[in-house]
Amino acid sequence: MKNHRFAMSLLAAAVLAACSTLPASDSPLAQARSDYSSAQSDLQIASLAPNELRQAGDSLDKANRASSKGESSVVVDHLAYVTKQQVAIARETAGQKAAELAVANASAERDRVRLDARTRDADTAQRSAEYSQRQSEAAQRSAEYAQRQSEASQRNADASQLRSEASQRSAEASQLSAEASQRQASTERQAANDAQLNTMAARQQTQDAESRSRRLEAQLKEMEAKKTERGMVITLSDVLFDTNRAQLRSGGVRDVQKLADFFKQYPQRNVMIEGFTDSTGSNSSNQDLSDKRAQSVRTALLDKGVGADRITWRGYGEAYPVASNDTAAGRQQNRRVEIVVSDDGGTIAPR
Amino acid sequence: MNGIHGDRWYRGISAIACAAVVIAGCASIPAPTEQMAVSRSALANAASAGGAEYAPVEMRAAQEKMDRASRAMDKEEYENARRLAEEAQADARLAEKKAQSAKAQVAASVTQDDLRVLREEINRKNK
Repeated sequence: MKNHRFAMSLLAAAVLAACSTLPASDSPLAQARSDYSSAQSDLQIASLAPNELRQAGDSLDKANRASSKGESSVVVDHLAYVTKQQVAIARETAGQKAAELAVANASAERDRVRLDARTRDADTAQRSAEYSQRQSEAAQRSAEYAQRQSEASQRNADASQLRSEASQRSAEASQLSAEASQRQASTERQAANDAQLNTMAARQQTQDAESRSRRLEAQLKEMEAKKTERGMVITLSDVLFDTNRAQLRSGGVRDVQKLADFFKQYPQRNVMIEGFTDSTGSNSSNQDLSDKRAQSVRTALLDKGVGADRITWRGYGEAYPVASNDTAAGRQQNRRVEIVVSDDGGTIAPR
Repeated sequence: MNGIHGDRWYRGISAIACAAVVIAGCASIPAPTEQMAVSRSALANAASAGGAEYAPVEMRAAQEKMDRASRAMDKEEYENARRLAEEAQADARLAEKKAQSAKAQVAASVTQDDLRVLREEINRKNK
């Protein structure tokens, strides 16, 4: 009975001896517990290496049981060591699986990237195709527009053609009218030339007329013509006639010759021959003498070639004396023939 | 409970009792031949997985422990041999996993590089 109790108490002592000590913080068992705890809370290890982790957990349970049973440190340390290595195995396994997953994912990722690229290319091609479609529709519309434009241009061209033909014809018409104008111009030039010639001729005529007129004046002056209201008057005095006769003396003939020359030079001038006597003798004999003297001058002019239609004559007897009949000189003055030269138009105003 | 013996006596008896338990335990355990075989196989697997290159520390530890396990087997220290063989197995497996993990990491980084290059090419084309 003493032996039983002895063995029992020994056993109890052994258990107590084992249980009474907790593992030191740096002991293999403490480290194993810590390692396992870290691994258990690591999501990657827990998900990728669950079996390995469980194996490590089983070993840790064994180690803990051995420790609480008070087994020797050799046993506990051994189990702790195995636990520690198995935790490390779980960790490495998780790492390996993760890498293998990455490799597998990479292949899928490569395929996805390539598919994305092809999809993008397809989308781009699709959009290109749609764009090209719209472009071709726009080009189609442009072509139709251009077609209409070209038709309009064609019509414009035809209209232009017609206009150009019309212009051509109007140009020809202008050409003709230009030629006509040219001819007209040359005609007018001709006319101008003629007019110029006419002017020159007229000027010449005027000059001639002026020079004639000057000559006339000179001549009239020479003949001692006097200017009166009726025109130039040349007085043939009594001494040019035979006394009381109508016969012209040679002096008178010479004077009448000058008159005739004058009147032949100035054909547009007419002549009025007026005869006068003094108051001596009777009115009828004076009248008769004055008539005859006038006629005598007329005849002389006719003989000299002056046209009869230019000559008019009249005798005035003793009327219109120019001097007093009381003196011999006066009476001689009154015995005269007056030659009235008409104006240019041939008109002689009556006395 | 207070006995008639002193403290020193109890401590001495405990030591002897522990040893008795140990010796009693040793006497009943069979030879761990299966464990030895499993451990040797694990070591061979680790070696062919490239453990020597990627986990030299673990490989050396595994080998060393297998050698000690063999010697323990010769001395019929079967408990010891079993524990050593178990640890050798764990070391060998760890070495193997380290080697496999390292190779997978290399492959993963290569593919990541390839992916990056592919993306860059595609982006360049799209510019």
